[in-house]
Amino acid sequence: MTLLHRWFAGIPGYLWSGWGALASLFLFVAAWEAVSLAHGPLILPDPAAAFGRLFALFDGGPAWSELAVTARRAMTGLALAIIVGSVLGLLAGLSLTASMMARPVVTVLLGTPPIAWLVLAMIWFGAGDGTPVFTVLVACFPVIFVGALQGTRTLDHHLKDMARAYRLPWRMRLTDLYLPHVVSYLFPAWINALGNAWRVVVMAELLSSADGIGAALAVARSQLDMDAALAWIAAVVLSLLAVEYLLLEPVKRELERWRHTEK
Amino acid sequence: MLKFSLRGVTAPGHPLWMCGLRPFFLFAALAAPLLMLLWSLFLATGMPLPAVPGGPFVWHAHELLFGFAIAAMAGFLLTVVPEFAGGGDFPARPVRKLATLWLLGRLAFWLSGAFGAAMLAAAALAHLALLAGLARLAAPRLWRDPERRHLAFLWALAGLAVCMAGFYFDALAGASPARWLHAALGVFMALIIVALSRISMRIVNAALADAGVAGVEYRARPPRRNLAIVCIALYTAAEFLVPGARLSGWLALAAAAALFNLMNDWHIGRVLFRRLPLMLYGIYVFMAAGYATMGVALVFETGAFSAGRHLLTVGALGLAIYAVMSIAGRAHCGTPFETRLWQPAGAALLALAALLRALSAWPGADTQVLLVAAGLLWTAAFGLFAWHMAPLFLAPRADGLSGCKGTAIP
Repeated sequence: MTLLHRWFAGIPGYLWSGWGALASLFLFVAAWEAVSLAHGPLILPDPAAAFGRLFALFDGGPAWSELAVTARRAMTGLALAIIVGSVLGLLAGLSLTASMMARPVVTVLLGTPPIAWLVLAMIWFGAGDGTPVFTVLVACFPVIFVGALQGTRTLDHHLKDMARAYRLPWRMRLTDLYLPHVVSYLFPAWINALGNAWRVVVMAELLSSADGIGAALAVARSQLDMDAALAWIAAVVLSLLAVEYLLLEPVKRELERWRHTEK
Repeated sequence: MLKFSLRGVTAPGHPLWMCGLRPFFLFAALAAPLLMLLWSLFLATGMPLPAVPGGPFVWHAHELLFGFAIAAMAGFLLTVVPEFAGGGDFPARPVRKLATLWLLGRLAFWLSGAFGAAMLAAAALAHLALLAGLARLAAPRLWRDPERRHLAFLWALAGLAVCMAGFYFDALAGASPARWLHAALGVFMALIIVALSRISMRIVNAALADAGVAGVEYRARPPRRNLAIVCIALYTAAEFLVPGARLSGWLALAAAAALFNLMNDWHIGRVLFRRLPLMLYGIYVFMAAGYATMGVALVFETGAFSAGRHLLTVGALGLAIYAVMSIAGRAHCGTPFETRLWQPAGAALLALAALLRALSAWPGADTQVLLVAAGLLWTAAFGLFAWHMAPLFLAPRADGLSGCKGTAIP
């Protein structure tokens, strides 16, 4: 109850602290406006035109359905990556041999550019949902895997020994010792992966799909419609910002509070 | 009751010259209601104002910025520079010269329409000499401070001098000088943030101590303040170079967001609702609202731009000067903080004046009535201030001391 109370009491302060970020973003938009003033709308339309178009796309336009399609693909790929990556990473972390074996493979996976996976996926899965979902899965998997691996590897042995010495029940051991530690590694990895997923899915759609935001971007490009292109880009960035700062960042703060010593 | 006498007021021994803020705060306290009363009469009845280059609007803005606000700033600097940087009070002689320059500046500018370019040039000289004299007094002290923590005051002074020189250059060349007044308003906004960061630390922490709140400390954090100043500077430059463009609109929105961000420092609990903290907080509220209104007006091309500008002038600048003069004016004249009701009442009148002035831009509003009402509310607020505070500047210190020494904060 006090946790919930503190959580809600912190919301206005957290939201208000967003003004600083907003100031920086407005400065960025002003810089955009200055460039468009200097080079003309053919090279870079001004922000008002792009936002006006974005508004039109959402207001009775196709944006919601395209966004839903893209979100479905990104979230499916991400969910698969989270499940597979976390489970395999935790298991690999339990054994020194497994984690030693896994590292080079992860390096290879991390080093392979998503665009290469995309080419393979296009051959394997064609133009359906499979291609973007697979690309997202492969692009996000290594990040989460490494997070989970490190989470288990860095667990303090003394704490583990102490837990054993005091014969802590397994449930307490899990919720008070293992989980908080592992989650503090896993969660940032998930957030990283979310940003990755969102970027990769748009790229995959651009090259392989007939619907979704990526496909809309491809259409805008072929028609040289700069306003629409920027509007779609803005839609991608704004939705990512919204998810990150309104949903994930507060959760992350709450989860990582234990790191800071209580006053 | 304070005993004060106007006899011998020009003599160096009169209490008016005891401390640098006394003559200048007196000028500001008298100029504020008088200038706005004339302006309201002009708006209501068409009573003619002194003819100056650029017309009545330039007279209105010039007098309130380069007359009223500069007087308040001069009084403030003459008192706080010795306090922050050490070295003892400034002697009365240079202060008397500066006060004469201020009066000459008023006289010359008001007569500039009737007597032509020579009088305008004289006004320019008087105004610039006042700023130069202030800089000459303040600069060595501020520079001598090993950490040079208060140089921002000097930059603000330099910025105002540039705006003033530009104004008179354009006016003498026959061009419209209004853009320099707009730029000067930006400098004043930055100066307010710099000055308030110093004042608020004392006032709010004193209020915290007074309220018996333990474990909470108010701190004006430099990064937040600097972000706000940078945004305001960028907006002011953009407005000057490409007036009316959407570019300055985005920058105004950035400034508004940065000011809302600055308020994070202030959200430390109920102490914010005490008289003095609330008054200082209100300055930022008006400043943020002013830039937000101007930004929205520029980006969405609504007609409310002037409403935003006057939230800055009446709301932020007016309230800042009112608050600072009523806090520093009492403390440095040897009287404890004001506890009577006129002080918050005047601040409320001023806030109401700012709101009515902004509302006059509302589509369908009776503009003239609202403008005149706002002008009269301002007149009332500063009239109240002058009524209660002017005797203080003319009387000896209540604690029997002399000089500027501030009374300890309770």
